[in-house]
Amino acid sequence: MRGLHQLDRSSAVAGTAALGILAIVPVIFPGNYLMGVLTVAAIYGIWAVSWDFMCGLTGRENFGHALFIGVGAYAAGYMNVQIGWGPWWSLPIGMLLSALFALLLGFPTLRLRGPYFALAMLSAAVIMQRLMLIFWEHTGGEEGIQDITPLIRNHLHYYWFVLVLLGVITFVLSWLARSRWGLILRAIRGDEATCLAAGIPITRYKIISLVISAALAALGGALYAHYQLQVSPQLFSIVTSITIITMVYVGGMGSIYGPVGGALLLTLLAEGLRDVGEWRLMVYSVLLIMIVFFLPNGFIAPLWQKLRATLRGR
Amino acid sequence: MAISFSRLHSACSHSLVAVLSPLLLLLQMPATLAQAPDNKPVRIGVPTAVQLQVGRDTITAIKMAVDEVNKKGGILGRKVEYVVADETENPETGISAIRKLLANEKVDVLIGGYTSGVTLAQMPHISAAKTIYLGVGAASPSVTNKVKTDFDNYKYVFRVGPINSTHQARALVDYVANFVIGELGYRNIAIIGENAKWVQDLVPLLSKGAKEVGAEVKLTELFDTQTSDFSPLLAKVKSSGAHYMIVIVSHGSSDILAKQWHDAQVPIPYGGVDVKSMDGDFFKRIGGKSISQVTVNFAVRTPLTKKTLPFFDEFKRQSPNYPVYTAFFAYDAVLLYADAVKRAGSLDTDKIIKELEKTRHEGVAGEISFDEQHDLQTGKGKYNMLFVQWQDKGERVVIYPKELRNGNFILPPWMKK
Amino acid sequence: MEILIHGAVSSAIYAMLAVGFTLIFGVARVLNLAHGSFYALGAYGTYMATALLGWSLLPAALMAIVQVALLGVVIEKIFIRPLRHSQLGVLMITLAISLVIEQALFLIFGSEYRNVPAFIQSKVSIGGIDIAGQRLLVVAVAVLAIGALYLFIQWSRLGSAILAISQDAEAAKYMGIPSDRIFALVMAISAGLAALAGVLAGPFLSVQPTMHLLPIMKAFAIVIVGGLGSIPGSIVAAMMLGYAETIVAYTISTSWTEIVSVLATLLMLVFRPAGIFGKRAAF
Repeated sequence: MRGLHQLDRSSAVAGTAALGILAIVPVIFPGNYLMGVLTVAAIYGIWAVSWDFMCGLTGRENFGHALFIGVGAYAAGYMNVQIGWGPWWSLPIGMLLSALFALLLGFPTLRLRGPYFALAMLSAAVIMQRLMLIFWEHTGGEEGIQDITPLIRNHLHYYWFVLVLLGVITFVLSWLARSRWGLILRAIRGDEATCLAAGIPITRYKIISLVISAALAALGGALYAHYQLQVSPQLFSIVTSITIITMVYVGGMGSIYGPVGGALLLTLLAEGLRDVGEWRLMVYSVLLIMIVFFLPNGFIAPLWQKLRATLRGR
Repeated sequence: MAISFSRLHSACSHSLVAVLSPLLLLLQMPATLAQAPDNKPVRIGVPTAVQLQVGRDTITAIKMAVDEVNKKGGILGRKVEYVVADETENPETGISAIRKLLANEKVDVLIGGYTSGVTLAQMPHISAAKTIYLGVGAASPSVTNKVKTDFDNYKYVFRVGPINSTHQARALVDYVANFVIGELGYRNIAIIGENAKWVQDLVPLLSKGAKEVGAEVKLTELFDTQTSDFSPLLAKVKSSGAHYMIVIVSHGSSDILAKQWHDAQVPIPYGGVDVKSMDGDFFKRIGGKSISQVTVNFAVRTPLTKKTLPFFDEFKRQSPNYPVYTAFFAYDAVLLYADAVKRAGSLDTDKIIKELEKTRHEGVAGEISFDEQHDLQTGKGKYNMLFVQWQDKGERVVIYPKELRNGNFILPPWMKK
Repeated sequence: MEILIHGAVSSAIYAMLAVGFTLIFGVARVLNLAHGSFYALGAYGTYMATALLGWSLLPAALMAIVQVALLGVVIEKIFIRPLRHSQLGVLMITLAISLVIEQALFLIFGSEYRNVPAFIQSKVSIGGIDIAGQRLLVVAVAVLAIGALYLFIQWSRLGSAILAISQDAEAAKYMGIPSDRIFALVMAISAGLAALAGVLAGPFLSVQPTMHLLPIMKAFAIVIVGGLGSIPGSIVAAMMLGYAETIVAYTISTSWTEIVSVLATLLMLVFRPAGIFGKRAAF
């Protein structure tokens, strides 16, 4: 039990080194395009990690993660463009709003299992998407809100900012996941009744985890809004939620750091396939089938478990 | 312990991906370093919705124009190339397409566009890259409004086509006044359109203008672009007492609207701006059910200018489709850009912009010139909206404006007395 | 009056989709996200046979349905069976399959809407309301098909086998019921029903590559509301949804219809997750 509380010093060093490499990449290979793709990938990483913390550990797959993302993004857009506040306010406001949504939705839905919870969250996301379209006078409808001011004009600095956030979030959540908190969440996945019998306030843990997950997703959403400089209802769609779940899947569910790799890999893959033209999405989907089929435990996390084992074996 | 993952994993996974990914992208960087700067080709970036006909026809038209320019020696002695990026109808993909064209492909000019919402989303990024953008598909006035309100940042944007929604509204009002009321005698009209930005801009103007010319607007409704069942809406239109239905739709399902209108034999003729019904095979692919529908078009195969017939004939050689509106403007855009660069004598962006502003170019269906907002002007001798009706066997007949009419208006087959 | 008829049409289509979806879940515990693709393929198959091969409508439709049913069996055997231990795995792979099919349709047929000819071209007048004959046909066929299915399950031997497996898969195996073969059969029925819905609805609804999305989401919603694994539940829920949507569309506006179904789902999940007829509670 004690081993879980500490994080290896080597892990911390290695994690920082990895981030450092990622940070240097656009300096070595300059070009706005690559940096743009990496920035988006990093934001997806934040979304994937926030999803994994709640769902990978508790086994309650949230098919409506896009809801929290969209709330953060639209809060940013609305505050910035319609109300006119400075861009830095959107981050905390988006996170607060999203946390509120998580509280409201979490209480009635978290007692549901399996596909029911997934569907409930999905429904919530779809409703939000529809509402954005219906109240188009305020939210810009199908085209959304444009002309959002960027947080940091220099692309490279913004990229580093996002990367640092990603690193901090991954670090903190990894630490939480390997602490007593994470253990309880995993226990909840296993058998709720036993947890209850052991006197653990599982509802409190579930709700707080959902709130954390939602707030971080919203943070990512706000970051995204200030980068793309626009938000549209597509952010709430099931495609967004599923893309993130796929990234977590590929990275290795429950590992927290795996999804970061998954996000990077899949974002780069999607962009890298642009040259294949019309066949792009087809190739992407086929690859997905192959991954799900042959590597049901994901790709990144198990791969490095093996690597580590072989390294240790020496 | 079985579950003691270590940060080493993440490090390795991150570094491996970090090393592999730029290699992946580097493999696609164009090898322009090999060419001497003087002979660098002029590159046109084409952001468009590749999977739709408007996109495919944009590409075909650009290819035609680029070939023509190259045959005449290129631009300033340099060869012209073009590269396409799929912007779909989704702003996020659109932004990524623009980024690819600007940062990766390093194009000199952008020609394309379709969905106003996508174009609006792309504009800040285009402005930041200080690259000229010639729009050929987006109709919302907001696109060129920025030129007026923020000239220094947005002077790069020009709309070569289509005629913007405000002008379209005016043309529709003329149609209502002179044709629907004037010749058909229908005063009660219903206006339905898809809930997209360009329509939101257009409908209020149309509604107001129609009332001013004596029409009674019985119903105005904006429907969701994704609507797949129009029966409730058609029922509403019928019960509103309207005698003519004006539709404003581009992304929505024109096919289904036509089919359902036909199958339910709604006793109300309809017409308006309907982009998908501009497609050459529209009539055929829905089994002829769009008979008697009137659609706006910007050009048809009659000699509106010296270039009309040669354009249509050459287009037919390159593609089995009858060209849709983006094709005319894309073709014209390439040619007028080449002329502007020639007059400017260099590829200096500001010089080109000054020359572009002076454009008086003979296009496929009219003369192209820009107003102070870099927007396409309309009027005599310039591009105008033609009202074309689908008739028997898929024939398309111009029924308005009167000067260009080449056939008689027909009613839907079930309304013939 | 119009609401009555149009509501019936919507309900019929939804019912055909939902019953198939709930059937495969009830029997094999498989949430098949590719179910919508079967709907799409039914419509496209008919389109291809009539427009490109020049067949007449009835044989084209029948062939499309049979082909989709076979495809369903193949997908179940190759992709789903190995992953049956993980519900999320099945979800992901059926999702990926639906994406592949969508892209294939894009590449082969393009993004434009395609025209599937209708069985009944004429217009019918009922109580002063004009309605396309094809729409009424949908109701008739749906009633027949689902009725036949219900009778089949209740009265035939195979039907009892299906019921047995859905109640207790292990026990059924011990009794010698060949569960694998039954899964294949159920998948075929499920896919076939979806394809039938596609064939019938294609003429008046949209036929384009992304047409699988909305049906699968609605089917999912209906099945949850009606109770996963319950056929009568699906039928009732399908009718509720079909009518709710139609009423909203006619009285308020079409933009609000989508919200109705989703909101209903959410509320049902919050207050009574087992659905109307669900035997198995969600927690």
